[in-house]
Amino acid sequence: MRLTLLFGLFALLGLAFETAVPHLISVPSLIPNLIVILAVDLGLRHHGVLPAMLAFAMGYATDALAGSHPGLNAFMVTLVFLVSYEISSRLLVTNAFVGATVVFFGVIATALGAIAIGAGFSALGDTGSIMPSLMLQAAISALVAPLVFSMLAASKRLAGLPARAARE
Amino acid sequence: MRGGFLWRNRVLLTSGALLILSLHLISTGVHPGDLAARPESAFLEIIRPIDAAFTHFSSGASSIVNDYLDLLHVREENAHLRIELARVTSDRARLAELEAENRHLGELLELKDVLGLSTVAANVIGSDATGLSHTLILASGESNGLRPGMAVLSNQGVVGKIIAVSPHASRVLLIDDHNSALDGFDQRSRARGIVAGLVDDGLILKYTDRSQDIRAGDTIVTSGLDGIFPRGLLVGTIKSVHREGPGLFLNVSIAPAVEFRGLEQVLIVTQPPPHIDDQVKG
Repeated sequence: MRLTLLFGLFALLGLAFETAVPHLISVPSLIPNLIVILAVDLGLRHHGVLPAMLAFAMGYATDALAGSHPGLNAFMVTLVFLVSYEISSRLLVTNAFVGATVVFFGVIATALGAIAIGAGFSALGDTGSIMPSLMLQAAISALVAPLVFSMLAASKRLAGLPARAARE
Repeated sequence: MRGGFLWRNRVLLTSGALLILSLHLISTGVHPGDLAARPESAFLEIIRPIDAAFTHFSSGASSIVNDYLDLLHVREENAHLRIELARVTSDRARLAELEAENRHLGELLELKDVLGLSTVAANVIGSDATGLSHTLILASGESNGLRPGMAVLSNQGVVGKIIAVSPHASRVLLIDDHNSALDGFDQRSRARGIVAGLVDDGLILKYTDRSQDIRAGDTIVTSGLDGIFPRGLLVGTIKSVHREGPGLFLNVSIAPAVEFRGLEQVLIVTQPPPHIDDQVKG
């Protein structure tokens, strides 16, 4: 319950930020993908059924505010969670650097996956011109990720939740 | 139980089931009134006041920041005068903002009169959460008479169509989104085509026969044949026409008439455009 409330609050703030700010600035790719960061944190540090469902719910919430195919972001965010979980299961330590790296590739994979599923794999051929802004967004997301992870860890401590995966 | 196959693979199995559910949602789509549409509507409703407050705060803050930067040299001359001037300039910025808003609404009102259709004005409070798709969030919804499929316009031209509504908010799919398409024609040559968005921004005119006389600078307007947009609304201007290469159709690139990023208010056509008989369409 506490985990649901915590990630619900962070996801709500993240989505409000991601929808309100790009409309006001001239370079929307400067906005980090906070939902992917939250999904990576769930995958790396919370191993269970509830975190998987939370990742799906965050993706579905994103679908309500992005794109025109409901389920697309739910799919990609759940996939990012699953990959993060698998990485966490195979590595001895999942520190901020590992998290930031997963976030970097997660943001790119989420975007390209959403285009491929939403507009067809042939549309990936037209993504050349958006790659620089996508790479910029991925880099900014990776830079911001350690800060978000530490904010989440502090909030988890306050809420009495484990900040790391049980194995660590 | 804890050592069993299901327990050991619970994360994989749950994620797999959720991925299949996501694919099911993508393939079947979500229609208004569906059970799956309720959370979507609820999220839109929850985010609306936050976005509205954010937009209100941000526009006020940005005008104050701009005023402050303009006044840096005054600060060096006289601190008291600077504070006074900042207050006055801030007031002026607010008045200018109100004046701009009035002008926008006045222009929308003119457009409303010209259209002669039932319309509703709405404020833009947000944009696409991922930035990959081109959508906007409006601070008006079902309670204002908005429904999915309605045409959204600005005084510059066609903006898009409504794809989701909640009681007090709605989302618009812009015409330059890669999943968007509308029926349009060249105003000079009358050549028809489908105006579609691209993944990497911009618009193209698809399925226009190579024999058609289409030139750069021509104006593209809506045909009214798609049953969403009224006929004769400005879509954009042709940037370039390529006749080289194989294929049956022309490669036509269009510059949209609307500056989507700067939109603050839009007009939604709540009355469907007049029905055009299928024989006329053909």
